[in-house]
Amino acid sequence: MTEQTTIDAETPQPSPPPAPPRFGRAARITTTVAATVALAGVAIGYVQLTSSATTPEAPATAQTVSLAPAPRLLTLTSTGQVTTVGKDNPGGTRAVSKTKCDRIYAAARTVACLYADGILGTVSMRILDADLKERKAIPVSGIPNRVRVSTSGRMVSWTAFVGGDSYATLNFATRTGIYDTKTGTLFKTLETFDVIKDGKPYQSVDVNYWGVTFTDDDNTFYATLYTKGHRYLVQGDFAARTVRTLRDHVECPSLSPDGTRIAFKAPINGDSTKGWRLSVLDLATNKVTRTAETRSVDDQAAWLDNSTLAYVQQHDDGTKDLWTVPSDGSGKPKLLLRNAHSPAALG
Amino acid sequence: MGTRHIRRASMATAAVVTTTAAVAALLTTASTATAATITINPTADTYVQDSTPSTNYGTSSQFTVDNSPVRQSFLKFTVSGLTQAVTSAKLRIRVTAGGNSSNGGTWKSMTDTTWSETGVTWNNKPVIDGATVASLGSVANDQWVEIDVTSAVTGNGTFSFGGTSTSTNGAYYDSRESGADAPQLVITTGTAPSPTPTTSTPPPSGDPVLVGAGDIANCGTAGDEATANLLDGITGTVMAIGDTAYPDGTSSDYTNCYQPSWGRHKARTRPATGNHEYHTTGASGYFNYFGASAGDPTKGYYSFDLGSWHVVALNSNCSIVSCSAGSAQEQWLRGDLAASTKPCTVAYWHHPRYTSGSSHGPNTAVKPLYQALYDNNAEVVVTGHNHNYERFAPMDANGALDNTRGIRQFVAGMGGTSLGGFGTIQPNSQIRNSNTWGVLKLTLHPSSYDWQFVPEAGKTFTDSGTTACH
Repeated sequence: MTEQTTIDAETPQPSPPPAPPRFGRAARITTTVAATVALAGVAIGYVQLTSSATTPEAPATAQTVSLAPAPRLLTLTSTGQVTTVGKDNPGGTRAVSKTKCDRIYAAARTVACLYADGILGTVSMRILDADLKERKAIPVSGIPNRVRVSTSGRMVSWTAFVGGDSYATLNFATRTGIYDTKTGTLFKTLETFDVIKDGKPYQSVDVNYWGVTFTDDDNTFYATLYTKGHRYLVQGDFAARTVRTLRDHVECPSLSPDGTRIAFKAPINGDSTKGWRLSVLDLATNKVTRTAETRSVDDQAAWLDNSTLAYVQQHDDGTKDLWTVPSDGSGKPKLLLRNAHSPAALG
Repeated sequence: MGTRHIRRASMATAAVVTTTAAVAALLTTASTATAATITINPTADTYVQDSTPSTNYGTSSQFTVDNSPVRQSFLKFTVSGLTQAVTSAKLRIRVTAGGNSSNGGTWKSMTDTTWSETGVTWNNKPVIDGATVASLGSVANDQWVEIDVTSAVTGNGTFSFGGTSTSTNGAYYDSRESGADAPQLVITTGTAPSPTPTTSTPPPSGDPVLVGAGDIANCGTAGDEATANLLDGITGTVMAIGDTAYPDGTSSDYTNCYQPSWGRHKARTRPATGNHEYHTTGASGYFNYFGASAGDPTKGYYSFDLGSWHVVALNSNCSIVSCSAGSAQEQWLRGDLAASTKPCTVAYWHHPRYTSGSSHGPNTAVKPLYQALYDNNAEVVVTGHNHNYERFAPMDANGALDNTRGIRQFVAGMGGTSLGGFGTIQPNSQIRNSNTWGVLKLTLHPSSYDWQFVPEAGKTFTDSGTTACH
C-alpha cells in the first residue's frame, strides 16, 4: 500500500448555513453516545448507592458550559471533557461539561470538537454551537491532532494522523481538512490544492499538511506542508485552492490576534526527532524569536492575547498541564492550569 | 497493639520528639541510645472525586481511595528540626469505623508538594507520579495501616503521598480533621538501620510465569538490551507481542537487532506478529526466525497451556489474516477456547482493543476476537502497538466496565523501541507510563494471576496487582 493523497477529497457541496441536521451515520453516532452516557449515569448511581453509608457527599449535577465569547479560557481535561475557567482567574471554579473532545477550539460561537469514539472506532469533526449542540459532523480518518477556527467563527480546520498509512512506511502521514461554515465548502484534504514551491509549481505524492491557522479575511491561511524531509510554512489561498512555501522548519503555525506574528514549533537543529522549540516568527521582518520555554513543545500553541502563548506539556502518565510563556522571548514558562490542554481564549 | 501509645502532635506543624526508650517497644527497629523518634501529623490531607470534579473535600474528616466513583487521596507532611539522618519513616493511616475494604489502595510518593488542602479538586489535582510505597490488600475497620516510606522521606522537607485504588470497594481513612486518629508520619533518626522485618513478600509460588512485551528490538535504541537484561532474571515463557524486529522484520533485522538481545531467550519465546513483521511479505522474516514456535506461517495464531492456564497468541493484522466474526481465525479461536479444560485464559496480540496512546487509536477490527474471549470467560489480554504501558479495568468488548466477567487488557508496548506518549485518556484506563522500558510479568496461579510491570534498571515506575479468575 502506498499513501493515497486524494482518497478523501470531496467535491465542494454548497449548502446554506447552518447545515441542516444530518441523518444516517452522524445521527447514529450521536444517538449511541447519548445512550452510553445514560448507561454510565445509571452505573455511577448504582455504585454510589452501595457505598453511600460511608460517603455523605452528594454527587455532582451536570454542569452547563457556554463557549460564547466572554473572558473565559476553554480547555479540555486529560480525559477529554470540555471545560471553562475565568481567563483572569484560572485557579477559580472550573465548569466541566459531559461533552468530550480530543482536541477543541472555538471562536465567535463556532466550536470545533475533533472527537474519536474509541468504542465505535469512528472519528468526526463535530462542529458545535456555543451551547455544545451539534451543527454538523464531518467523518474523519485517523488520530485527532489539531483543530482551529477563524476569528470570525466562519472557517474550521482539522488535522488527523492517518492510521494505517504507517503500514507502508515508517513515517506518519497526516491529513488536514478545511470547512467553510458560510458556504458549506468542504475539503477533507488539502492535498488536492496546487503547490507553489520556491516560486514554481510543485507536485509530489508525499505531500502532507498539518496545523492550519486562519487570517482575519477568512480566506488566507497558514499551515505546515511536508515533502521530502522538509517541513515548510505555507501560505494558502482557500478560494484559489493554492498554497505557496514561505520557509523551512516551521510546524504548527499559530497566527497572533493582531496578525503580525506566527508562533510555531521549530525542530531542534532542524531535526524534529530531537523535539521542538516553541518560537515566534515576525511576518514583517522574518525574525525568529525563541520563547523562554526550553522544554520540547509538541503542540499548536494558542495566543491568549497578543503577547502570551499557551501550550501543553504532558506527564509520564499521559495527564496534561497547560503552560504559558511570553511570546517575545522574555520571562519564563508558567503553569496556568493542571489537567488541561487544547486551549482557546473565548474573549 | 501498642500503637495507640504513640504521642501525637497537637498542631499540624508541630513535632513531638521522644526518646528511644519511650517508643522502642512500638518500633520494629532495634535502636541505639542515640536514636530519636518524631511523630508528625499532616499539614494537609484530602481527596478528590471524578463525579464531582469541582468539589474540594479538604475539610472532610475522612479521605478515601476508590475506583467507582474514582477517588484519590493526597497527604502532605512537613518535616523540620531533624539533625540526624533518617533511618526509618513510617506512614500510618487509620481505617474508619466502617471504612474496611478488600483493597486499601496503592500509595505512592509525589513530587508535587504545592497543592493546597482546601484548593485541590478532581480538575486541578496534582499528579501521583512517584515510586510506589505500598500496594495494600484488605484493610479492616479501625485498623492502623503502616506503610514504610523510608525511601521517600529523606530528611527535612515537605513530602506528599497519593493514594488510588483499582477496586470499586472503596477504603476510607480518618483525616487530620478527625482529631485523635489523624494520619501520622513516624520518623526515626540517628542510628544505622538495624535489620528490620521487611514487609512480607510472598514466597515464590512456583506457578508458571508468562513475561514479555511488544515493540521490541530496534538497532537504534538501547531499550531492547535493557528489557532483555530483565528477562535474564525472570524464568518462564516469553511473550514477544509483535513489532519484534524494527524497522521491517527482515532476516537481517532479526540477525542484527533482535538476536543480540531478546534472541538469547528465543528457546522459551512464543511470539505474535505486529504490523512491522508484515513490512516483509508474508512476515517471512519473522516466521523463518522463530520457526515452529510462531505457528503456521499462513495463520500466525496458535495456543498452548501453562499450568492451570490456557494461553492464546493471535494475529491482529486483520487486513491480512481476518479477525472478523466468522473468519477462520475467529472460528478457530472459539473452537479452541471451547475445547480448553483450563480454568483460566490469557491471550496476547499486537493491536490494542483499548488504548490511550497518541500514535494509534483503539482498534475495532480485533473486537470479534475480544468478544470470543469474553464469551468464553477469559481473564487477560496483553497487547502493544503504542509504545507505552497502560492497564485497563476489566471490560467487555464494547468498552463497558465489567468487574464480573470483563477482560483486563494491557498495552505493553514498552519492550525496547522509542517510547511514545498519550492522547485523551480513555475510559477505564487505570495506570499509564510513557518513560520506562520494561516487561510485564504475569504469574499464573491456579485460580488467579498477579501482574507486575518490571522496569528497566535505574527506573522506578512499577505497577502490580492480583485478580482472581472468573
